[in-house]
Amino acid sequence: MTDDLTEIADKVIETDVLMIGGGVGGCCAVAKAKENGLDVTLIEKAHIDRSGSAGQGIDHYEGFFTRDGTTTLENVSNEDWRLGRYGVRYPNLNVKYRLYKCQFWVFEQLEKLGVPMRWDDGEPYWIPFPFVGWERRKTGLRVHWTNIKPILGRAVRRSGARILNRTMAIDLLTTDGKVVGATAVNIRTGEFIVIKAKATLIATGKLMRLYNPETPMPWKYKFRYHFCPASSAGDGYALVYRAGGDLVNMDINAWTFRIRDDLTCSYGSFSLNDGVPMKTYTWDGEEIINPNATRYKQLEDEGKTPIYFGFDHFSEDSHKRLEVAFADERMLSFKVAEERGFNPKTHRYELQDLSPTGFYRVSGIYIDENFRVLRGNEPIEGLYAFGDGSAGGTSGVAGAATGGLLLAEDLPEILKDMDEPEIDISQVEEHKQIALAPLAVEEGVEPLELESAIRDICERYVGMFKSEGKLREGLRRLGSLKDWLGKLSAESPHHITGYLECRNLLDLAEVHIKACIERKETRGNYFRSDYPEIDKDMDGKFFSQRIENGKEIIELREPIPLKPEYLKDAEEEKAELQTADAAS
Amino acid sequence: MYIKIDMATCDGCKICYNVCPQDVFTWNEETKKPKVSYEEECWFCGICWMDCPERGINITYPVSIS
Repeated sequence: MTDDLTEIADKVIETDVLMIGGGVGGCCAVAKAKENGLDVTLIEKAHIDRSGSAGQGIDHYEGFFTRDGTTTLENVSNEDWRLGRYGVRYPNLNVKYRLYKCQFWVFEQLEKLGVPMRWDDGEPYWIPFPFVGWERRKTGLRVHWTNIKPILGRAVRRSGARILNRTMAIDLLTTDGKVVGATAVNIRTGEFIVIKAKATLIATGKLMRLYNPETPMPWKYKFRYHFCPASSAGDGYALVYRAGGDLVNMDINAWTFRIRDDLTCSYGSFSLNDGVPMKTYTWDGEEIINPNATRYKQLEDEGKTPIYFGFDHFSEDSHKRLEVAFADERMLSFKVAEERGFNPKTHRYELQDLSPTGFYRVSGIYIDENFRVLRGNEPIEGLYAFGDGSAGGTSGVAGAATGGLLLAEDLPEILKDMDEPEIDISQVEEHKQIALAPLAVEEGVEPLELESAIRDICERYVGMFKSEGKLREGLRRLGSLKDWLGKLSAESPHHITGYLECRNLLDLAEVHIKACIERKETRGNYFRSDYPEIDKDMDGKFFSQRIENGKEIIELREPIPLKPEYLKDAEEEKAELQTADAAS
Repeated sequence: MYIKIDMATCDGCKICYNVCPQDVFTWNEETKKPKVSYEEECWFCGICWMDCPERGINITYPVSIS
C-alpha cells in the first residue's frame, strides 16, 4: 500500500500529529506536542516566521476576565456575542470556560517559549478596564509583540518538529469516518504531499474573504483586510465541512474591522488596547456613544454618517503611547499616515461602514472543550480545531495559544493506544487530480477574478440587509460560478493557492447563504428586511451545517451548557469573590 | 510599483522572499536578488519593509487605498 502511495505522491510523511496552520496557535501546539514526546509535522501556507493574523505583530493579549463582580468566569462563558441583549450565544460554553480557566498557566508557557509577556519595567502591564459601552468585558495585557511570530518560529525550529512552509492543505483524508491525515501541495514547487497522521489539528484562522476588504478596490490590489488574507480564506472551515464536520453560526458574521480610513487603521483599537478610550463623533461633530449595528443604521438614516473617532482630547503622554502601540502591531500604517500628513492630534478618522466582514467567535468549526471537531453531537475521531476558526472559544492570540497548548498537553494520552492510520488511496488520487488540475488549463481565468465574483455575490445578495429573494438569487448565481473553478489556470504552482482558496470560498459561500435563508428573523446585527422582528423561539439557538452521506444537513441547536464540574468551580469562585469583597 | 526594492542596497539575504505571507516575491537565481512577481496579491502588511535588515524596501499604498 505504501508503495502505491509513493508512486502517486512526491512525498509521504507518517506522523503522530499533523498541524495544519502555523500561526500563533499552530506554533504553540507544535512546540508543546514536541516537548511532550510526539512526532509532529506542521504545514503552513506562508512561512511560520510571519504567518497568520499576528504576522505583523500584536499589541495586546486579551485572555483574562475581570473580577470586578460583574464579570466572572461563569459570565464570560455565558456571554452573548456583540449583538446586544438579543444576542447569539456561544455554541459550547465549556470551551470558553476551559480557555479562560488556565490563563496564568498559559502566561508561563508562553514565557517558556520565549514570548515577552511583560512590559518594559519587567511587570505585566494590565490593560485598564475599558469604558462602558464597548463590547469588551474582559481585560488583558498590553504587550510588545512586533516579533511574536519570529519568536514562536524559532521555538518551533528548536523543538525539532518537521516544518513544511509554503504548503497548503488540499483536503483531509478519511477512513471509516475517522480523519487519518491530509493531502497538501507545495505552492512554490507543486510538490504533492501525503501526510498520514493519528491526529490532525486545524488552526487556519478566521474566514473573512467572503466579503470585500476594508477599502474599495478593484479585483487586483484587493487585499487590504484587517487580518492577513492568507489566513482569512477559511481553509480550515472548508476542510472540516468536506470531511463531514459541522460548521455553526455561519449566518452570523461581524461588521467590525472594516475600517474605512486605512491610513489610521486601528487607532481606535490601539487606544483601547492601552486602556485609553477614544471619542466617537458624527460627521458634524456631535459626540456619541460608539454605535452598534442598529444604532449605526439609525445614524445613517438620519444623515449623521460617516462616524469618526477622535483623539484630539488625548494628553501628550497618551499620544506617545499610541505611537508605541503602532510600532507593536501596525508599523506600516503608521509610516504611511506620517507620509500622508495624518496627525491624530488634529485629525479624526472614519471608523467603519455598515458592511459584513468575518466569521469568528460564535461562528466556524463546531468543537467541544477538548477541541474535538463535532459531527452532530459526536466528535470525529482524529480531528481537532482551535483558534480563530473554531466556534466557541475566544478569538485572537489568547484563544489560539491557549487552545494549542491545552490540546498539546492532552495529545500523548489520546494517541497512546491509537492504531496506525489506514489511507484510502483513491482519495489521495482524487485530491491530487483536484489540486494540480489548473496547471494544465491554458488561457484560463485568474483565481483572483473568480474570488472577486464570489465576494460580489455575497456583497450584493447577502450583505447587511438580507431578504429571501436576494438570498435565493445569490445562491443561484453562486451555483453558476462553480463551473468557473474548472476554468481557472495556474501559470505556476503559486496560483494553486488562489485556486484552492476559491474552491474553499465557493463551498463556504454556499454554506453561508443557506444558513441565512434559514434564519428568518432580525436579531442584533443580523438584518432580514422581510422578517424585521426577533423570533423569540430562536433565542440562544444556532444552526449547524454538515455533509452526511453526500447530503447537506442543517440543524437548529441549543448551546451546550456548562458541565456540572465547571459550574461547581464557578460556585467556588463566586464564594471566593464574596469573601474577598467582604474582607475589603 | 508599490513595493520597491533598492537593488543597490539589497544584499540578497532572502528574508523578504522567505517570510512574505502572500508569497509576493520570487527569487532570481541569476542576480541572487528577490523579484516582486505577484504584487497584486500584496496586502500591505509591511513585513518585508519591517524585516529587511538593509532597509532596502519601500512600500507605498495604491491609489485605491486613499
